[in-house]
Parts: sequence; structure tokens; C-alpha cells
Amino acid sequence: MKQLSAPKGWSRLLLTPPAIPWAALRAAIAAGGAATAQTLIDAGMRGRGGGGFLTGAKWRATAQSDASPKYVVANAYESDPAVFTNRLLLEKNALGVIEGLAIAALSVGAREAMIGVRAEYSDAIRLLESVITSAEREGVLGASVLGSGRELAVRVIPLQGSSMIGEETVLLKALAGKRGQPEQTPPYPSEVGYLGKPTAVNNVATLAAVSWILTNGADAFKQIGDPAQPGTVLVQVSGSTTSSGVLEVPTGTSLAEILAAAGGPARGTTIKALLVGGPSGGFVPAQLLASTPYSCAGLAAVGAHIGSGGLLALDGSVAIPELAAMLTRWCADEACGKTIPCRIGTRRLAEIGQRFVDGLAGPEDESRLHALAADVSDSALCAHERLTPSPLLTGMRYFKHEFYLANVEQTSGAVAGWSK
Amino acid sequence: MAGLMERPASGVIAADATAVQTTPESQALEQMLSTRSPQRPQRTPTFYVEIDGKQLEAFEGQTILEVCRANGIEVPTLCYDPKLPGFGACRMCVVDVDGCDSPQISCSAKAEPAAVIATQTDRLREIRRTNLELIFSDHNAYCLPPCQNKCPSHIDIPGFLKANAESQFRESARIFKRTIPFPSILGRVCPAPCEDHCRRDEVDEAIAIRDSHRYAGDQVLKSMWDEGIDPPLPFELQPKTGKRVAVVGSGPAGASAAYYLLVAGHDVTIFEKDPEPGGMLRYGIPQYRLPKIEVLDGEYQSITRLGGRFECGKMLGRDFTTADLKAQGYDAVIVAIGCYDTNDLGIPGEDAEGVIDGLDYLHTAALGLEYPNHEGSRVVVVGGGYTSMDCSRTSIRLGAKEVTLVYRRDMKDMPAADEVHEMIEEGGRAIFQAGPIRVIVDEKNRVKGLEFIRMQLGAPDASGRRRPEPAPGTEFIIECDRILKAIGQGPDMTWASVGADGIATTKNGRLKADAVTFQTGRDGVFGCGDVRNGATTVVASVADGRRCAYAADAYLQGLDLGEIRTRQTLAEPQPEFLSIVPFTGEMKEPRRRMIALDADERKHDYIQYEIPYSKSEAMAESTRCLQCTCEAIGFCDLRRLGIEYGTTLKTLEKDHLNGAGFRSITENRWTGANHDYVRDDSHAFILREPSRCIDCGRCANVCAEVVGAACYDFMRTGFDTLVTTPLDMSLNESPCVSCGRCAETCPTGALMPKPRILTKFEVDESRCILCGICVDVCPYDALRSGFDFELAHTDRSEPMIDLIALAKIERTSEATFIRGESNWENTVAGRRHDPARALPVLPSNLRAK
Repeated sequence: MKQLSAPKGWSRLLLTPPAIPWAALRAAIAAGGAATAQTLIDAGMRGRGGGGFLTGAKWRATAQSDASPKYVVANAYESDPAVFTNRLLLEKNALGVIEGLAIAALSVGAREAMIGVRAEYSDAIRLLESVITSAEREGVLGASVLGSGRELAVRVIPLQGSSMIGEETVLLKALAGKRGQPEQTPPYPSEVGYLGKPTAVNNVATLAAVSWILTNGADAFKQIGDPAQPGTVLVQVSGSTTSSGVLEVPTGTSLAEILAAAGGPARGTTIKALLVGGPSGGFVPAQLLASTPYSCAGLAAVGAHIGSGGLLALDGSVAIPELAAMLTRWCADEACGKTIPCRIGTRRLAEIGQRFVDGLAGPEDESRLHALAADVSDSALCAHERLTPSPLLTGMRYFKHEFYLANVEQTSGAVAGWSK
Repeated sequence: MAGLMERPASGVIAADATAVQTTPESQALEQMLSTRSPQRPQRTPTFYVEIDGKQLEAFEGQTILEVCRANGIEVPTLCYDPKLPGFGACRMCVVDVDGCDSPQISCSAKAEPAAVIATQTDRLREIRRTNLELIFSDHNAYCLPPCQNKCPSHIDIPGFLKANAESQFRESARIFKRTIPFPSILGRVCPAPCEDHCRRDEVDEAIAIRDSHRYAGDQVLKSMWDEGIDPPLPFELQPKTGKRVAVVGSGPAGASAAYYLLVAGHDVTIFEKDPEPGGMLRYGIPQYRLPKIEVLDGEYQSITRLGGRFECGKMLGRDFTTADLKAQGYDAVIVAIGCYDTNDLGIPGEDAEGVIDGLDYLHTAALGLEYPNHEGSRVVVVGGGYTSMDCSRTSIRLGAKEVTLVYRRDMKDMPAADEVHEMIEEGGRAIFQAGPIRVIVDEKNRVKGLEFIRMQLGAPDASGRRRPEPAPGTEFIIECDRILKAIGQGPDMTWASVGADGIATTKNGRLKADAVTFQTGRDGVFGCGDVRNGATTVVASVADGRRCAYAADAYLQGLDLGEIRTRQTLAEPQPEFLSIVPFTGEMKEPRRRMIALDADERKHDYIQYEIPYSKSEAMAESTRCLQCTCEAIGFCDLRRLGIEYGTTLKTLEKDHLNGAGFRSITENRWTGANHDYVRDDSHAFILREPSRCIDCGRCANVCAEVVGAACYDFMRTGFDTLVTTPLDMSLNESPCVSCGRCAETCPTGALMPKPRILTKFEVDESRCILCGICVDVCPYDALRSGFDFELAHTDRSEPMIDLIALAKIERTSEATFIRGESNWENTVAGRRHDPARALPVLPSNLRAK
């Protein structure tokens, strides 16, 4: 895991610690909670956890909820394999994250804030704890935040186990010591969250951006990236590229540009497709890379999503059906098992995919794949379930011929005469 | 609850009352007025929502599901428990809300003012159907036992076997007659597809299901012949409707249709072309398999005793038309004329003298006439069904010198495979995988022989059997004098040309009639049995006749025939809660076989060749039944929804008559890996069958949130997730308080109240150290210390003690005290047995010598 050097002109607002520590927090206290939330709405700040919900609106809803006490939770439980953007962020800019978390807590009126973080990130946990300890010693956090008389305790909570903990309602249950299963929303965590109380759950990248916005202003933030979703995102490039690591990318940058920033294809290879969004992401074929912007809307149009920020470059040696079936099976195995379409349906999707890989797919399997994918997505409880069909669907959309290669081999080869 | 907690204790009120000196009446009033109600406010703000086009009042805070339930709108759920907030695991309660992109989960989504909601769109039904299919694809269990599922008529097999085991043979026959009116006939001629799927086969051998109902049916016939007792009726006889129904054909399908129409209160006349009723049962099946007078006539009396009339010697198309029947005032006509046209071999020389239609041959034999010159002839029978077997065995009985059966497929593919060995015992021979290609004739066009070609087996066809293909160069000739054709039959449809407007035939030359409503193209004319399906088994025809009767009954009542599908499904009998034998730990106990007469003896005779069961044999055989029925049947939400959404086994079988389609409950579009869990019957009251669990989480939520014990939760992840006890421990070791709420809330049969099983205990005296603990703790004084420092124990079946004398003694124990029969003071005395009181307890023969 390393940070890649970014091209000139790409802002670095997440991975750079604030120039003046706690200036943003001071500004937020001076402005008050409602105004802070409004500043974020004005800046067009959208959550970086994948949902793309307006951060300011979420805080406002939490603040306006009747029940108390209120809680604020930072989500640093990234669970997609081979993606370490949160970890790098915490190690580079723990101060910004904690500052953002403190701003969030004061805005919604919470006296307790938690950072749910993977227990394996021991360096990040140590850093976070040292920032919190020194902030408490300096009077930034604790009984009276920066002398404002507001009380705030920040805790780092290491979590371990299911990959589903990254989902926000699951994270809340994990923090409460319960089995990691999502809850039906609505009600959203802003109404019923941690221990059933109003809770604002934000990704750590969101919080780091909050700190930057309150220092540099909403207008400066809106200048960066895609106007519909301004700011930068952390992208982990890996696979068949010259160099791999984490890039901070302005939203709206095309996939081809991101690929170029990572040095382009590895020597002697050509890129066939990018897997965008981790194991439940979508395949984007080479011919669409230049025209596809890295933004929620842009990726949705081609069947992918930002997700965890993973971006896997695939060269000609990769069999798309095999990879898609394997990813689907991984997602099916990681499912929490709460809903029927997820527990059984995603497994059945993986089985259909595997039949294509083995050349055993029947004539109805393609239509079944589409029918089941639609039913699983439409009745989904959480994003994991909704997005699990993506690799198979986009694979089928852009690389359909590969899905039938094995079938052709089977029928022309050793098991000719086998029919289903 | 807060109000309840704050209600002042009565003592406090009394103190207050003394202070202000009020009357008792005003005290009570004061208490009623000052005590806050524990309920939530009676009126919360209300508004209107539109659900399925209806304007409905909803309270603020109500979920969409609650509004639907309150107004009688059915939204399916599996994981919802009214005691708890919505859980959202089953995804069955999806509804469409205007303005939302994706379906909403109605058990947790709140009703919003002026929302427009739809609960039954095609898309929602598709999602629910997929969900149900996904559940079934991992539902390694069954509702009906496999035997009942495989029976074309779905007889309640565990039900009648249980009645048999209890020697309730009349009740057993009654249960049988709910789906098939003729237990004795089917007890002789049914190919018993049920027995091929009997789970007892996994223990030792399949139950003799057919022989068991044969015995029960025979008892009913016996009491009818000997004592004139009417056969039992399956259902209450309905009052006369005044409607008249004509049934054309008195074979199994027609007779079955007539029977159920008579029970439904209609007036039924049955037309038969032959001189006696019975159709194929009388003229196609030989006497040695089905005795005509004792059994066939006896069984058909259940029709005449209900007022059914037979009009024999009247043939459809020759003597009357369907139009004539309508003109004679029949409100409905059921055509069940069967298949009588034997298929041709389609080979050269088929018109030669000596090539005989197998059915004609059997018909002649059944009439008691002899085929000229049959004795001493050499006969070849072509075909593999029951007709071919009847032809072969009848030929042997008529004195043929040499009988050869030739079938083009393998023996295991032969429909009548179970009779082959009996035919061979009687002196016939069988050749498999050979097909006829040419009849060899002499100069007078008489049969001299039949040339065959060997068949090799190719790819499987629609019936799942491998298709035979000729192997060139393997021709051979069998010399013979007679060739009996028995390669299947088709119906004679010439009647459809006159006075039968609207009647159509299928491309196979059969009567075209709907598979569910049995309606032909002509109003009020129904078709069932072989004329609709082609030649099938007796049991399939009887089943067809029953379903057709239900359809005709609905038609006569003026009901919507579109609803018949549901009615028929519901009319299928539901097995009751059965518990005669536990499933596991069965002793090996082989099937009781009927003893057949010696082959040399039976081959000259038409008498029945099997010696029937004795009463004790019939009971013992039925006791072997494992009673595989799911205990939850009739209460199972999964099954109910499966029927409603068309995902249960029956509707999934596209073409069950031809053996195609899905074969078990786990087979559907999504069939794949599935789980087979081990049953936990360690708990005294709650039976856990995890294979039936659909992981809805209701038990986990109720146990944790309502009871507080938290015995269950989701375990493992992904596809292997299962709602179970911590680490799959026995429920006994969990914090279970045996409240039974988990079994109560379970939507399937995964958690059930356990049936009680009598247990027998044994005492090993060689290991007894005479500690006396058992004596001290036994609440019923079943064990006592004897006079000589010994353990005295007894047995219910051979009483060492005089129980009547024992009952007369006034004794006191904890048990009698708890029952309120005495008081505790005497207990100590009661526990001591002084010899004077105990002596009379011994029976006279054991008293002091």
C-alpha cells in the first residue's frame, strides 16, 4: 500500500493534514451546528461511503430528531479485499478525520463519538489514539471542547469479523456488540441508530473533507471535480498497471486518466477492462474508459459504482466469467444471511456463473441470470445484496462471448452428446 | 407499561381513604379515575392512504402492513410476527409505493398521508415467486410424504396406514375413499408408484402400501356381502341438487367421476357400451388379477347404493350423441370412454391372419369365450405395458405352448416390470431390446413367424428413458402362430363427428379437454381419463375422474371455473397430526409379502393367485410406516404461499404424466447446492427440524425480545446461515424455558411441539447399590423399599401387587398432596409402610405361604 504521486492540478485535500490544527473545529463552533450543516449542503458535500447522500442533510436530520442522547460514528471499517484507502487516510490524516468527527458531533448535538475501525489497522489505531489523547490534554476534546463548554468524548473501537460490518446499520450493531446484520431502512440511523438513538454515520473520508471545507470554504470545494458531486475521492489502483497504490482523484476524472496516473498498463500488456468498485463492482471495458467519468452518475450509467474505491485493471489474460463467478461467490459467502434473496439468491447467481465457467450452462441460464439479478436487487435490504449481481451483469453486458466459450468447448470436445 | 408501574399499591389507597373518611364506593371510583391507563392514547391522528385503489384510514405511526392487515388486504409475510417490529428478512411483504424507485418493505415502511400503494402488481408477484422458489431450492424437506406425492391421486397414505395399524379398517377404507372410491380394486391392479418412493426403503424395505389398502377394502366388501353394511362414505352425503349428470363410460375414470358426483348430491346415469359395467377393469384386466364378481361388482355397488344407475349396451356415437344427452335434460356430460383402439405395429404383413389385437383377445377371454385353436399355439406378445403382461399370462392360462414377450426397451424401463418374474415363473419367456420389423406369412397369409431387430439404447427422451434405436445387422426371427399386439392404445373418436359440435381432438387423436377444468370445447361436456390422457394406469384414471367430478360439480353450482384450480388444491386431503412411530432408530423389519400360489398351479387357473393378509399381518405391516408427513401441514405458511404463488411441486411439474418436469420440492429454476441438517429431538417438548427452517428469524426474535431467553440466533454466514441454538447445541443445554413460543411462531415445521412417545425403562438390578435415591425421589411411589432391605419394583403388565387393593389404601404422598387430595401433615406417616397395611396388596397367590 502506497500513495501514488498524482498529476499536477489534482487537489490533495484528504491526504494532507490541516495546516492549522483545530482551526476548522473552532470555525464550526463559532458558526453553530445549523450553519455548519448548511455550509456542507452549500458545498455539495456528498458522503464518500458509497451512498452519496448529502452529508449536511444527514446531520440536520440527526440534529432535528427528538430522541436523545445522540451519537456520531465514523466508519473506518473497509472490508473489500485489496482496498486500503481508509487505512492510508487514517495514517496520513488522522487529525483531519478526528477534527471532522468532532465537528459532526457538535453539529448534531452528540456528546459521544466513535470511530469503528478494523482491528488489523494497528498503526492507524495507535495514531488515532495518540491524536485523541493529545487533543484531550490540550482541552480540544473532553469536558469543554475548545472552551465552548460543550462536552465530547471520542473513542476508537477496533472491530473484527464479517466484511458486512462496513455497511452502516451493520456497523451500528457491531458497535453495540450484536450480530452484524443490517436493519431495514427507513427508519434511517439519523432517527434510530446506535442503541436505537439518533446517530450520524459518516465515512472517514467524508469527515476529512468536512475539515477541509470548514477551513477553506464551500466555494473553494465546489471548484474541485464534478459539480454534481464536488471534491476528491480516494481510489486504489491495482492489477495490471505499471504502478499500484492509492490516488486522490477529483470526482469526474475519466477512468482513462486515472489509469494513466497509475502509469498506464503494465509493460507488455493491454488493458481489457477495469473492475470498478471492488468485489461487487462492475466491469468497464477498455473502449469506455475515456468516456466514463469517475462519479456516482457516470459509473452507474455503465453498471459500476464507486463502492470502496477499488479499481482493478484486467489484461487479456483474465477470463471475465471466471472472475465474475468468483467475485459473486465471495459476496455470497460474505453475506450475513438475513434476507432470503441474499442468502440463497446470491449463491444461486454464483452457481449460474460457475455453470458458464464450466461450460455447463443450459439454454435458459442467461435469462435466469438476468431475472434473478433483477429480483435480488429489487428486493434488496442493503447495498451488498443490491450490488452483488454487478460483476456477472456487466460481464454479460460487455463480454458475453466469453461466457459461451466454455460451452462451445464442451459441446465440441470430450462430452459431446451431453444435453441438458 | 409506565402507567401500570405507577399504579399505587392498595395499602396506600387505604391510608388515604382513612384520612379523608370516604366511602368504599368513592374509593373505588377514585382509584379508577386516578389510575392512568397503561394503553397508548385511544386516538392518534388519522389520515387516508390509497391501497389497491381503496381509500383506507390509517393511524400515524402504522406501518403499511398494519394498515393492510387492519383492512383485510392480504400481504404475504414469512418473517413478520405481530408481537414484534418488522424484521425485513423474508422480502415477501414488498409493496409498490408511488414515487419510490424500488419496492418498499411494508412491515417496516410507515404509511404516509395520501400515499398510493399497490400490493399485487405482476412485478411484486414475480419477486415473491422468486423468493419462494429460492426457499424451496434449499428446503430439503417435504410436506406430503414422498409416497403420497408420487401417487397420481395423492391418497393420504400415512393416514390410512395409521388406521390400519390400529385395526380401524373401515376408517382406513374411508380415508382411502376420499381420493379413490375403490380400495380393493386398486389393491389388486395398481402399479403402486408410491412404494417406489417409500422412505422405509432406506431402513429396510418399502411398506406394502397396496396390499395394505387391499386388506382394508376387502374388509369393507366382506361386511357388505356378509352383513349388508353399506361401504363408508368419504364425506358427508350432500343433499340432492336436482342436477342430472350423464357419465359416458363406466371404467375407472367414469366410475370415479360418478362416485364423487353422487356424493356431491347430483343425479348420475352411467352409459356403458358393453353388457356389464367396468370398462377396462372388466374386459381388459384378467380374472386372476381382479375377480369380477367378488371385487369389481362389490366395489361398483358403492355407486349403485348411492343411487347411480348404469345403462349398459349403449355406446356413444352408435346409440346416442352428446347433443342427445343434453336434449334429454342432462345438465352436464362427462366423457370417459377410455382407449380401445390398439396401435398398429406399422410393419409389413400386419394384416396377416393370426395378428391379433391384444385388447380384443383379452375381451374375448374375459367374456369366458375361447380363442379358437389357441391351445398348443406359439404366441408372441409385443409390448411392455400391463396389457402385454395380461396377454402373456392369459395366453399361458389358455394353454398356449410357447409364450414370448418382446419389448423394445430394457426391462427396467418397462411399465409392467414388476410382473415379469411372475410371468416367467408361469412358463413364459421375455426378450428385451428388440423390435418387430416384418411379419412372416405362409402362402395363405397366415402368420408363420415374426422378424425382429435388436435395439440399442440412445439418448434419453422426454420420459427420461433412453430411446431405442435399431442396430442394423442384428435381425432374428421367432417362429410363431399368433402375434398379440399390445403396444398401447388410442381413443376411438369417431363419435365426435356427429352431434358433438365444438368437440375437438388433439394432434395425438385424443379428446381435447382442459387439464384443470376438464372442459371440452362444448359447454357442459367434460372429458377425463384415458380418452384425454392416452392409455395410463388405473390409478391415474381414477384421479382424473375425481378431479373432473370436482370441476363438473363447480360447473353445476354455477361457480367460476377459473377458481377450480384453487378448489382442487384445497380439496386434496391434508394428513392429520400423526405420531405412531418415531422416525429414527427403526428396527429392521422386512416387509410382509403376500404368498403367491405355486406357478404350476396358478398357470392353469384364473383364480387370484395371491393369498391375502391375515388381520394381524395387515396391522403389523401398516405399523412399519414411518409416518413421514410433515407435522406442520395445514399450518405451514410456506406451503400456503407456495400454492398461492404456484411454486409447489404439483404446479411445477409441467408434464408429470410423462415423467418429465421437476422431480422434487428442491427442484426449480434455482436448483443448486442445498443443506441437509440433522433433526434435534433431544428436547422433551420441542422438536427441531432444521432442514425445514427458512431462516426467517422469528423464533430468534420472539425468544430474545418477548421471552428473554435468547436460545436462538443466526449462525454462520452466507448461504450456510442457519437460525439455530448457540454452536448448534442441543436445545436442552440452551437457556430454554420450554415456553413453546418458538414453535408457535415458526411459519413452517422447523420447530414443532413434540409428539409424546411412550418410553419403557429397565432396571439393571446387578448394578443397584441399594442407595434408595430412586425411592426417595419418585413422586408416584412407583418404587419402594422392601422389608428385607431390597428394592421392590413391579411391572404394569404383570402386576406383582393387587392394584385394586392398592387403590383402596389411604396413603399420602407429595403427589396426592399436590393434587389437593390430602394435607401435608400426614405425609411423613404415609411414606412409612408398615407391614400390616402393605400385606393385602399382594395377590392371593403370592401371599405368605
